[in-house]
Amino acid sequence: MAGIEFSEETRQQAERIGSADIVVGVAGPVAADAVRTRAETVFGLLGPSFTSLRFVFAWPSSAADAPAASLAADQPAALTFFPFASPAHAEGELWAGVSAQQRAVLSLAAHLNARACIVLGADLAALHAHPLQLLAYAVLERQCGLVMPIYNAAKYDGLINSGILAPLNRALYGRRIRYPLAFDFAASGAMCARLARLESHQNNHGGSGLLWPVTAATTQSPQTTIGQVHLDVHHPTASGGLDLSAVLAQIVGSLFQETEACAAHWQRVRGSQPVPVWGAAAAEPPEGQPVDTRPMLDSFLLGSRNLDEVWRLVLPPNTLLDLRRLTKLAPEDFRMPDELWAGIVYDFALAYRLRTLGRAHLLGALTPLYLGWVASYIREVSVLSHTDAEQRLEQFARVWEEKKPYLLSRWRWPDRFNP
Amino acid sequence: MWNQVKQSLQSSMGRAMEMLARLLPGILAFIVALLLFLFIGWILAWIVRRILAALGFDERMSRSAPTMADWSPRLTPSQLVGRIVFWCFLTAGVMVGVSAFEAGSSENVVSGWILGYVPHIVGAAVLLLIGNMLARYVSRSVLIAGVNLNLSYARLLSMGVRWMILVITAAMVLDHLDLGSNIVELGFGILFGGIVLALALAVGLGSRDLVSRSLEREASRVVAEEQQPERVHHF
Repeated sequence: MAGIEFSEETRQQAERIGSADIVVGVAGPVAADAVRTRAETVFGLLGPSFTSLRFVFAWPSSAADAPAASLAADQPAALTFFPFASPAHAEGELWAGVSAQQRAVLSLAAHLNARACIVLGADLAALHAHPLQLLAYAVLERQCGLVMPIYNAAKYDGLINSGILAPLNRALYGRRIRYPLAFDFAASGAMCARLARLESHQNNHGGSGLLWPVTAATTQSPQTTIGQVHLDVHHPTASGGLDLSAVLAQIVGSLFQETEACAAHWQRVRGSQPVPVWGAAAAEPPEGQPVDTRPMLDSFLLGSRNLDEVWRLVLPPNTLLDLRRLTKLAPEDFRMPDELWAGIVYDFALAYRLRTLGRAHLLGALTPLYLGWVASYIREVSVLSHTDAEQRLEQFARVWEEKKPYLLSRWRWPDRFNP
Repeated sequence: MWNQVKQSLQSSMGRAMEMLARLLPGILAFIVALLLFLFIGWILAWIVRRILAALGFDERMSRSAPTMADWSPRLTPSQLVGRIVFWCFLTAGVMVGVSAFEAGSSENVVSGWILGYVPHIVGAAVLLLIGNMLARYVSRSVLIAGVNLNLSYARLLSMGVRWMILVITAAMVLDHLDLGSNIVELGFGILFGGIVLALALAVGLGSRDLVSRSLEREASRVVAEEQQPERVHHF
């Protein structure tokens, strides 16, 4: 099969199924009985426009207890269950495991010659009729190569995404994608094959391990139509038990690696283009309780007191001066300017490429700065409504675009700006 | 009188020139051997780098051993291997050059002593290099991890680790060079034991209240965080 090496049994099962119109795959292990019942209910609600389509519902299962593919006969749409044996290397810590399973699902869809593949998070939060209809509609009816979600997240959710991933992706690749690294997304058949091939390419050329579908779509096939759909889905990711610096290092490190790999492409991109959006935005999530930013601010101040020698290797003197000024502000006046934060992330991306210091150290040294930005952002949006906070993020992303020439200059002539 | 002085000077000059003439072939042989090995080392390092680049060595290493980049951040793995090859040949060139010097000059006192001591010097240099790299890497790791764990004494901890590794390295280097072995062992024992004792006393007596307050604060913070619902999601 393209990209991922599946077991012989899985290959035989795929041969038996032959082909499918839509593959709906779960990127992570799930309880087989529960998922079957729920999937049957959901597929029953899909509506008449889906009755003529052949669906395959796939999820990774351990090789030992993977039952054979079976047909759910009583459903309006032809639905085949395909619990495939998870590939041996489709494991990893934190997001790497999710990406590996997403690749496995895409590879399976490519093998089944599916017209569309819908990838769902392992918590099955998006396994409802409406999200599936929207994702399938965007691919099959609107000819999108890739469809990404816009989650109805609260103001203080997904801050790594809002603070780094989304604005950096938008500034680099010129597509206004709100969630470039998502649990749920959909891809056309051609895009599945491309992403599956990309997997093997990454394995041969030291890829980052995480799957960045938007980056792959924009760099490998720039004419691909990318769409977004509003999903009223909330993935309950508990970050309390996770080490923030480890999460940040994995995700941001992977993004920096992609930035390095795709430098020839993004250096030609100017500005950004909106992408088509379908579905109605859900009601605003309930206003959360006020957040105490003091611990984050303390982390930032502790970092500025102790990590000066590391930051000095990465950041130019004017940025260090601005950071020093920030440390002297009273907590209630603390605000990190957007230009400063965008410049910091650009400088770290460059240091990652130049190997100015060990990459683990570099990404570890980013954590206090990130917490400083989080404290500043929370203080700023705490008085704003959800809509205003989204507009604030839009303004924030535009600053990253305006600051992109700085990254270009430093990327092309790093010595000229050498701190 | 003047003739005697002149004769004596001429005789000294003659002896010096004779000594120089005897040493010249040796020096020439040393330079030729060194240049030859320098050239071979440079060529081989270049070939090794090209072969490793063709084999995709850097990509494989970045996938399988990401920590290597942390040890040598400015060099790619293939450049590092190339440099190691180059320096191995340069060291071999120095040793061969010293042997050639001995063969060319018929003076074996200097070369014999140098050849006998070269392994010690090389070993000590390698120890010093590794120790320095280790101290820098570990202290920076401790500093960054400490800051990310919100430890207010992260820098102190990092400095302590750095000096501990440097002291051990210095003792090992001096021991390897056979310099004042007894004094070094004794000094190292006293210094190391002193540091540990001082830390124990500082924590046990001097900073008892500080440590207990810090632990209490940490415990209460953990309890408070557990009781407080999670309001901020980074991802």
